[in-house]
Amino acid sequence: MNSGGLGELIAVQAASTYSRDRCVTGIHGLDEILRGGIPYGSTVLASGTCGSGKTTLGMEFLVRGALAGEACAHFTATEPSVKLLENIRQYAFFDMNMVDTGLINVFDMDVLYSWLGLDKSTFDLDDVHALIKSITDIVNTIGVTRLVIDSVTTLCYKIKSEQLIRDFLFTLGKKLATLGCTTILISEITSATENAHWSSFGVEEAIADGIVVMGDVERMGHLLRFLQVVKMRGTAHSRAKHAIELTPLGVMLTPMLKWGAQSDKASRWGA
Amino acid sequence: MRKNITFDQEDEDFFGQVGSFGVPKFDNEMHGGVPRGFTMVAFTETGSGAELFAKQFISPAEESENTLYISTNEAQPEIVRVFNKYGWPLDVNVRTIGEEYNANVLEKELLASRYRLEGFRLEDIQRLAQTRFVEDSTQDYLTEVTNEIMALGPYFRAGIDSLDFFLQRDDPGRVVAMIRMLQAHTQMYRGLLLIMVSVNGLPASVRQELSSIADMVLTFGVRTIGSDFETSMIVSKFRNAPENLKMLVFRVTPEEGITPETVERIA
Repeated sequence: MNSGGLGELIAVQAASTYSRDRCVTGIHGLDEILRGGIPYGSTVLASGTCGSGKTTLGMEFLVRGALAGEACAHFTATEPSVKLLENIRQYAFFDMNMVDTGLINVFDMDVLYSWLGLDKSTFDLDDVHALIKSITDIVNTIGVTRLVIDSVTTLCYKIKSEQLIRDFLFTLGKKLATLGCTTILISEITSATENAHWSSFGVEEAIADGIVVMGDVERMGHLLRFLQVVKMRGTAHSRAKHAIELTPLGVMLTPMLKWGAQSDKASRWGA
Repeated sequence: MRKNITFDQEDEDFFGQVGSFGVPKFDNEMHGGVPRGFTMVAFTETGSGAELFAKQFISPAEESENTLYISTNEAQPEIVRVFNKYGWPLDVNVRTIGEEYNANVLEKELLASRYRLEGFRLEDIQRLAQTRFVEDSTQDYLTEVTNEIMALGPYFRAGIDSLDFFLQRDDPGRVVAMIRMLQAHTQMYRGLLLIMVSVNGLPASVRQELSSIADMVLTFGVRTIGSDFETSMIVSKFRNAPENLKMLVFRVTPEEGITPETVERIA
């Protein structure tokens, strides 16, 4: 064995033992799927059909962070924050004190738009930059390490050009990564089947560091919620579909049995 | 169906058939003053003294609580200063739309540009996180002003200086429709309504519409003669009294404000 060979071996060993610091989500089953959590500073696209548990997943991600003493922020564009907080109160993991004490900061996008003079139907380049600046300002000023934008789809509807959406997401993701903030961008999709897009505009999925797809699958006449990690840069992960249960204690992920899918297909087609 | 309003005979005797313009010499020229129920539209040029005329028109204030002055350009202190200067009553109702607009809209815009340029401070972020609803800043000043004048009782006196504010922010057709309503209200309640509107940039069609609605049309002008300015007022419409159509050259005196000097009949 020559010295070059030894050097290569050491390098390979070092590479195989190196792992990026993780943002432990605290969500039951998700950290196991991600082999320890989301790599710090990643921007993860959580795409899902309506009612698939995206908002609950996002909120629990923040609550688990807050319980660990991290500063968290939630930007809500799809529903008023008052409604969001009322809905999330039914979960045992959520404590309103976290909002009152500023561990979880909930921002209404409508209010943010109004403060920035963005109460208009479409955003131009300046508006997009103002939005990025204000979000990163908030993250930087209060030291946010976990951020959820619910949803990026609603936000991007106001940005008419695909190029501008790409710039917005890329710049925002880059700045948040620099600030060490792990971000979940919630994206609304109409279908979560194999052939479906994982994002509404098609550009989000290419820019995100990770993609988590959530949807429904029919099993024996029942609609089961599922979650699948399609992509996660910086970590090995399971690509299998996992069943999601939204329990009063929070989101619970369990592996989905493959035979179930086959038997379901058989029963659905009457074979 | 036309609304029937009964007028007290005592009030009829007190208010009379005509009201003062607030300019005694002008009242004389107009054979006593302005007939009750008249809507006057004054087309103005910058520097022609029209703003002062609008305030002077308010000054007779037969019933102070039934007198309303709406200013879109001046602040309260400036109006008070002018009223004080000429010894006009201060107990009339004054609404300064320009000030309100500055506070509600322009200050918000200024703050938005500060946030965009300098970013959020910690206290801004704390406030933002606690703000759950967007404050509605879309105030319909035109409807508010219309309602305010429509709420005035019989023999009211009101002045709007100027209509430009509304024409710049609203659909001119809507503004004209509101003026039509105000004209009907003024006529029905035997009120006196003066509306100032700047002639510069005013579309000919709007000018035509306003002129046809108005019972009396005045035009304020200013021109230079040598090194002096000459201000004039032309009465180009006076419903049912063409003998009142005149051109008056006036000056502003510290004692009387607008004071006509020479008169020329144009009809």
